[in-house]
Amino acid sequence: MIEFKNVTKGYEKNASDALKDVSLFIDKGEFVFLVGRSGAGKSTFIKLLLREIEATKGSIYINNYNVANLSKKEIPYLRRKMGIVFQDFRLLENKSVYENVAYAMEIIGKPEKQIQKRVPLALDMVGLSHRINHYPHELSGGEQQRVVIARAIINNPTILICDEPTGNLDPETSYEIICILEEINRRGTTVVVVTHDREIVDKMKKRVITLEDGMLTVDDATGRYGYEV
Amino acid sequence: MKFSSLKTMPRNVVRDTLKSIERNNLMSAASVLSVIAALIILGIFLILTINVAEVTKDVESKLELKVFLQSDYTEEQKTTIEDSLNESALIESVSFESSQEALDKFTVSLEDYAPLLSGYNSENNPMPASFIIRVTDPDDLEAIQTLAMTFKDEGVEYVRYGQEYVEALVTFNKFTNTLSIVVLIVLSVISIFIIYNTIKLTVFARRKEIGIMKYVGATNGYIRAPFILEGTLLGLIGAVVAFLIIRIAYYYILGLVGGNLFLPVDASLASPSVVMGQLAFFFLLYGGFIGAVGSVFAIRKFLDV
Repeated sequence: MIEFKNVTKGYEKNASDALKDVSLFIDKGEFVFLVGRSGAGKSTFIKLLLREIEATKGSIYINNYNVANLSKKEIPYLRRKMGIVFQDFRLLENKSVYENVAYAMEIIGKPEKQIQKRVPLALDMVGLSHRINHYPHELSGGEQQRVVIARAIINNPTILICDEPTGNLDPETSYEIICILEEINRRGTTVVVVTHDREIVDKMKKRVITLEDGMLTVDDATGRYGYEV
Repeated sequence: MKFSSLKTMPRNVVRDTLKSIERNNLMSAASVLSVIAALIILGIFLILTINVAEVTKDVESKLELKVFLQSDYTEEQKTTIEDSLNESALIESVSFESSQEALDKFTVSLEDYAPLLSGYNSENNPMPASFIIRVTDPDDLEAIQTLAMTFKDEGVEYVRYGQEYVEALVTFNKFTNTLSIVVLIVLSVISIFIIYNTIKLTVFARRKEIGIMKYVGATNGYIRAPFILEGTLLGLIGAVVAFLIIRIAYYYILGLVGGNLFLPVDASLASPSVVMGQLAFFFLLYGGFIGAVGSVFAIRKFLDV
């Protein structure tokens, strides 16, 4: 569950705000596309969700917790409730596929036994069981993104945030990736996909939230794009 | 959650730390060398300070006060003085040395030049009789001197103790203490700075990993731990090497000097077991501390995500 109440974010005093009075509600288990041109405020939206930055005005709720009230020490625990998929993958080159996924569990102190059990399951879910001992540079872009997704869901987040997950992939691979995300969503995880991949958005017929110049202009439940490309 | 993360931490942290030291071997070596250099210099000053303190204490404890009697003192005056000295709580022991005994002692100490004193005998003995006083606390020497001087011209000629030596030693002791502290501060700043730079390289090399850790929800403590461990380890390695070098050097010098310190008083170098124990403790504490502080500074700004 994600809720923005009249959220405004300005970076510098005299510059125009990156987000202007944005209010939105994303329910548990929804699949939402967030679209908009470069500079429309998509990155700011993600950074706010991760509490990398704080809103200038308004309040943000994640799973009914007001994010602004979190102390610095609590932020890591907020992030454990969320999985993040980056456009540029951000895999560790010196670790194998298995180790990259296991890493996310090691960091938060999961026991080795549980790691050995869950990592293969997650890799199976994204269809990468056959690549388990390969290293990132041996994989294609699509395969690397699958590893990232496996890493993002390994700790059972309630929300999966994807920042341009198909930005570096060809259309066919992109579609496969989105299908994996849809499957994850079907199992109950809220999925937010930030993208400007029009083709994918049109194909999926999911809810689309459009940002333009920091303002929420269109929130359409049936997949209509809010601006012309 | 927190406890389980603590439990599994050592496994990853130790592995990552060793890898990182290996990867930055050149800078790691530079850090260790800087700690070694700093600690050797510090060690020299520390040993100097310990020794000066030891010698001062030694000299002070051996100090005696001599109350010289007038050549024509009466038996009555002698008893009065002796009684009042014996009453004082500050005095450990009082012994009397007659002028004949003083002459005999002097003759013995000058045995090679005995002819010089051959003209003296009990008739024309130039040596005064005296009370030799041992004190419980060297700080009371002056008070006892004052006490003895109340009998001036009533049997007491004058009072002497190794005042000048003690004062010079105490001054020197203070000087070496101050110098050691200044050296300690200057070298600490330099060492911390070098370790800070080494760890910053490590942090920079692993910034991607740190970013991922933050997004996956690793706590700051978890992220910081390997870097602090790395810095502390570098500091400790430096401390151990510096200690070994100082130890070898100290025993070598001790062998050369052979316990004979060219001081006008009877004193020797501080016993190596005492010095080395103190030094080992201080070095390890200091090395670890310097390493940890440098690392904390180095990682601080990278944690702000």
